[in-house]
Amino acid sequence: MRITVTRTGGFAGITRRAGLDSTGRADAPHLEELARAALADGAPDRPAGVPDGFQYGIEVDGATVYCADPRLSAAQRELIRTVLREGA
Amino acid sequence: MMRSSVTERRGDAVSRITMRDGRCHALYAGNHSISVIATPRHDTTTGRCHIAPMDDSRTRNRPPAAAHAPRITSHHTHHHGVFCTIVPPHVLDRLARADDPALHEPARRTLERDALQRTRRRITTVRGIRATAADREATDQPQRTIYDAGNREELPGEKVRGEGDDPGQDASVNRAYAGLGATFDLYLKVYGRRSIDGGGLPLDATVHYGQDYGNAFWDGERMVFGDGDGEVFRDFTLPLDVIGHELTHGVTQYTANLEYFSQPGALNESVSDVFGALIKQHSLGQTADQADWLIGAELLTDRVTGEALRSMKAPGTAYDDDVLGKDPQPATMDDYVDTSDDNGGVHINSGIPNHAFYLAATDLGGYAWERAGQIWYDVLTGGELAADANFTDFARLTLAAAESRFGAGDEQRALQKAWSRVGVETA
Repeated sequence: MRITVTRTGGFAGITRRAGLDSTGRADAPHLEELARAALADGAPDRPAGVPDGFQYGIEVDGATVYCADPRLSAAQRELIRTVLREGA
Repeated sequence: MMRSSVTERRGDAVSRITMRDGRCHALYAGNHSISVIATPRHDTTTGRCHIAPMDDSRTRNRPPAAAHAPRITSHHTHHHGVFCTIVPPHVLDRLARADDPALHEPARRTLERDALQRTRRRITTVRGIRATAADREATDQPQRTIYDAGNREELPGEKVRGEGDDPGQDASVNRAYAGLGATFDLYLKVYGRRSIDGGGLPLDATVHYGQDYGNAFWDGERMVFGDGDGEVFRDFTLPLDVIGHELTHGVTQYTANLEYFSQPGALNESVSDVFGALIKQHSLGQTADQADWLIGAELLTDRVTGEALRSMKAPGTAYDDDVLGKDPQPATMDDYVDTSDDNGGVHINSGIPNHAFYLAATDLGGYAWERAGQIWYDVLTGGELAADANFTDFARLTLAAAESRFGAGDEQRALQKAWSRVGVETA
């Protein structure tokens, strides 16, 4: 499963994008479960968000949803954190 | 008749929620420019409210001024899911503390479920909140509360310092507390504004939000600060101008309420940078030529090649780093950035009005908050600035504000020159 996270906005206004493939990873089942939950919890359009808050786009195998701080589901939060930290 | 009601009076404003015959009647009336009077009908099957105008209550907007104490009457229990969010937040707070479960249960559910939606509504709705806020008792003292999120992402977190409490061991808490005070000071002493809403609104901040969280934001009710990731960003409570920036989002929310997208969004951001910088200069006693005109100067770690996150003096030069990239801010309209990222580049194109302010303030000299700052404040709070204003709208209003505040003179000329140099039309 190909998972890509794009983070825009924030106080600095710097966009960050990172992606990873769950295939072959030891945590693949967990990541894929997170990704499915993150998609289900997301919105089809970018939410308004809050001033200086991060906004996120989560793309999983071609399907994209959006979410924004501070209103993330637990799955979105963990997935975003993992992909931005470990993805390339 | 089945009936439960709560009435709350603050100053000359009265709020009353009555549940009668299965309907929720909400009335809010103040002596300011707006009165929200409506009768929401609660649909218990969908949890949605239907709002219809109420035609019989416009005479009630002047209760006796002496009636400050809230009066709660409760006559009957009637089950409802949630209250409509047209109910002002302070009334919901009062309802949530009522003895009658018919009142407090839906109020508590509403507060819990809709806290963030109300936040968003406050950001996107223009005038409703202003009347609510202005009805609070004005005070010359800040009312600060600092919370600690304990590196989780739940707001507000645990209360760790209230107004008047001694400093503790946590430097982030102490910096946030002091920064809220410095912000309150500038708005009160220089512009005569009592807190961010002009009505003594308590100032809340949460520190230690999230893990290695490299950001700070305004959530509509409070400032929220991360500790930084340690790689690029340090603790976001370090720069005073960042604290002032966040609280100024509150001032904007309660005044012009500029949309957070594209040019109005860049103006919203720029206004926060301008007053963030002025709060720092005011606290340090710096004149325009002594100030560094940087935003977030203490924020970047030693590993980053850069001096700050933004430069009002020279937008686009604050950093140039392998990891962060190069500061993308334009200084003039020639380099305006069209992008869908960052809400249409609100933190990018803010460089243009930022630079105009810097040019005008340094041209005029002295303390920047006195003349340039006063003009910006007059535009932000004067009621003429539309929520969807673009750079030209804003620039023209600064010229008009300069004339009405200072007459046709140096201030107007400095502004004309500044806007012209950044390529924003004023004619």
